[in-house]
Amino acid sequence: MEPMQPFSAQFSAYLKDESRTIGFADSISFPKSEAEVLTILTYCNQNNIPVTIQGARTGLAAAAVPFGGHVMNLSQMKQMLSLREENGQFFLTVEPGLTLLECNQKLASHQLQSPAFSAASLAVLEQMEGKTFFFAPDPTETTCTIGGMAACNASGARSFLYGPTRNHITALRVVLPSGEALALRRGTCFARHRQLHLTTEQGTSYALALPQYRMPNTKNASGYYIKENLDAIDLFLGSDGTLGVITALELKLTLLPASIWGISFFFSAEETALRFADTVRHQMPGLASVEYFDDAALTLLRKQKETGLAFAALPTIAEADRCCVYLELHSDTDEENMEKMVRLGRVMEQCGGDQSRTWVARNETDLSLLHFFRHAVPESANLIIDERKKEYPEITKLGADMSVPDDRLFDVMRLYRTTLAEAHLESATWGHLGNNHLHVNILPRDLSDFHKGKALYARWAEEISAMGGAVSAEHGVGKIKAPFLALMYGKEAIEEMRQLKLTLDPHSILGNGNLFPSVRKEAEA
Amino acid sequence: MNLIVCMKQVPSSNEVRMDPKTKTIIRDAKSAVWNPFDRSALEVAVLLKEQLGGHITALSMGIPDTSRLLEEAISCGADEALLLSDRAFAGADTLATSYALSLGVKEIGPYHLILCGKMAVDGDTAQIGPELAETLGIPHITDVTQIVFASEKELIVSRKIDGASQLVQVTLPALLTVVKEIAQPRLPSIASILHAKETPCTVRNAQNLQADTTRTGLLGSPTQVVKTFTPPPKQSGVTLSAKPDQAAKEIAALFEEVKR
Repeated sequence: MEPMQPFSAQFSAYLKDESRTIGFADSISFPKSEAEVLTILTYCNQNNIPVTIQGARTGLAAAAVPFGGHVMNLSQMKQMLSLREENGQFFLTVEPGLTLLECNQKLASHQLQSPAFSAASLAVLEQMEGKTFFFAPDPTETTCTIGGMAACNASGARSFLYGPTRNHITALRVVLPSGEALALRRGTCFARHRQLHLTTEQGTSYALALPQYRMPNTKNASGYYIKENLDAIDLFLGSDGTLGVITALELKLTLLPASIWGISFFFSAEETALRFADTVRHQMPGLASVEYFDDAALTLLRKQKETGLAFAALPTIAEADRCCVYLELHSDTDEENMEKMVRLGRVMEQCGGDQSRTWVARNETDLSLLHFFRHAVPESANLIIDERKKEYPEITKLGADMSVPDDRLFDVMRLYRTTLAEAHLESATWGHLGNNHLHVNILPRDLSDFHKGKALYARWAEEISAMGGAVSAEHGVGKIKAPFLALMYGKEAIEEMRQLKLTLDPHSILGNGNLFPSVRKEAEA
Repeated sequence: MNLIVCMKQVPSSNEVRMDPKTKTIIRDAKSAVWNPFDRSALEVAVLLKEQLGGHITALSMGIPDTSRLLEEAISCGADEALLLSDRAFAGADTLATSYALSLGVKEIGPYHLILCGKMAVDGDTAQIGPELAETLGIPHITDVTQIVFASEKELIVSRKIDGASQLVQVTLPALLTVVKEIAQPRLPSIASILHAKETPCTVRNAQNLQADTTRTGLLGSPTQVVKTFTPPPKQSGVTLSAKPDQAAKEIAALFEEVKR
């Protein structure tokens, strides 16, 4: 089949993602249009060939890693397609392969012109003049594709204020394995209780029985998004490439705040840092990020700064600083942010901190330094694991992505600290403290640590599910977290999810192994 | 040790925009930042003060709004700030600017060391440091990469020269221009920002400084800017994905095309 090429060594990079999982495949394609996606998908469906959908492969849950069959890489579908205005709100439709970085750079530099734009889109572009917009969800790895963000409902530091990707997508085009297309617009097609009817552009109707489970009341990217009277678009957002191929997305653009300040607050003890963050997180309007770095994460950064040239530009962290809370303030004016900063300084002192132990970034240059600091933490952890892999190739970083409701923050921290100490495991913790969503990363020193770490991770999944939390809050479930999804929702819910998938993908060709173990055997039967 | 740091406000380096009509850089005070080389110079001063004790004055010439950025310099470790601001200083080239700065230095009083960034990211001339030193009649060392030894009487510094580095000893007072990498500038803290808000920046005009206005601003500038233009954007490259022998033929054909 023409757009499909046999898999060969030159494509080996397309067998893995940032989770460092390595798969295998028989063929690969790089479609350039929805028509090509449709042709390939129809062929694969007719010939019962499994398909793994890929964007930039920056995911951390191996959702884009193929285990046999065909790889459909969408990175060449990256056009901006159209612009629309409604009630002063602006919407940009893009193809799925556009990266977040490219999208936000074009928005920031006012260079949105696209050969695909119609006269109507160009007229809207004129209306946008003089204002700067951005696409608000901000996963740390900005080279991710917008399609990938939608597939796993990605979040990021600023999701504390702006919410996950789901909140910023208003329309989708999805090609189903049958080769038919769905055009989904938010607010136009809803489930009745837990029954959803979808009609393709070609006129075929699908009746979907939505699973009965209740989603946790916390930041969540675990399994299909299901609730009473669900908006149809929400089923496909966060579906991990298991229901269809997203070929176009309409993004709701956000006006860039005129004043963005970042402040790092350093503390000597974790308890004080947590108390500080817990005190301010729901008091302060316009708080975009509430992030945390523990002692081990700061130690990693100090080491990287000493040894790695790439990290030499990191600011020097004082020895007395054992942990850090990072807050980002989005306001209309610098004066407003100054007032907030003064208040935050006071709260820091009330909690037992010292406001001279802070870093304040008030311009783009300093802010990008603090973002670099944030990004350098996972990068440093990856470097350590890459080094250890030379001796123990089987080990990987074991990064938790679990969240709990607000009132369980201190409980979950106690759980992490006690169990890590009991197991004598090395770890580094960072992430979204504001959402009670920390990336506790176990850093195995050898194979025995790796197995102990995996067991501990499973225990956390169980205990966090019991706390009313989610096993994946932003990375998606992919293949790596599939076993934990069953722990979170139970076997019956997994079966309901499989049945839902089979309604749209009867031969189960899409995203096998994502969310739940492959359903292909049942499909073939 | 009494230290003076010369600092220049430049457009935010992430987005330099040119005015298509006047062909000049759009100097929007809102998006202005310190010249990154000057921030490194300030950090060197703060490190020297931490080592030897002393006093740091940040010195700048610019529009009144520059005082906002000078407040930032105080929050990053300067003890006080002096801004030279007057219409008579506007449109200055490097000669007129260094003359005005020399008056600022005299206003500040006795000093041991003046620190400047190697150059500013907007003008790229690298002339202010040497010209200021010549105006003041003190020695200067450019492109300093490291302070090897420091006392109130003398310094030993390392500087970059083509393919090597050079150790230079100098008796103070003197002026150094420093490279960006010499130090990692610290970020201000909440406490230091609040302190800076309470430390007003001193502003002086041409009259206060008893400036000879034939030597300041446009009038005192022998450099005439005839034309400013944005260079045409670089053409995007061509990727050849053919097999090596075929690709070699394509490259040869491209060479032929360029020759014609």
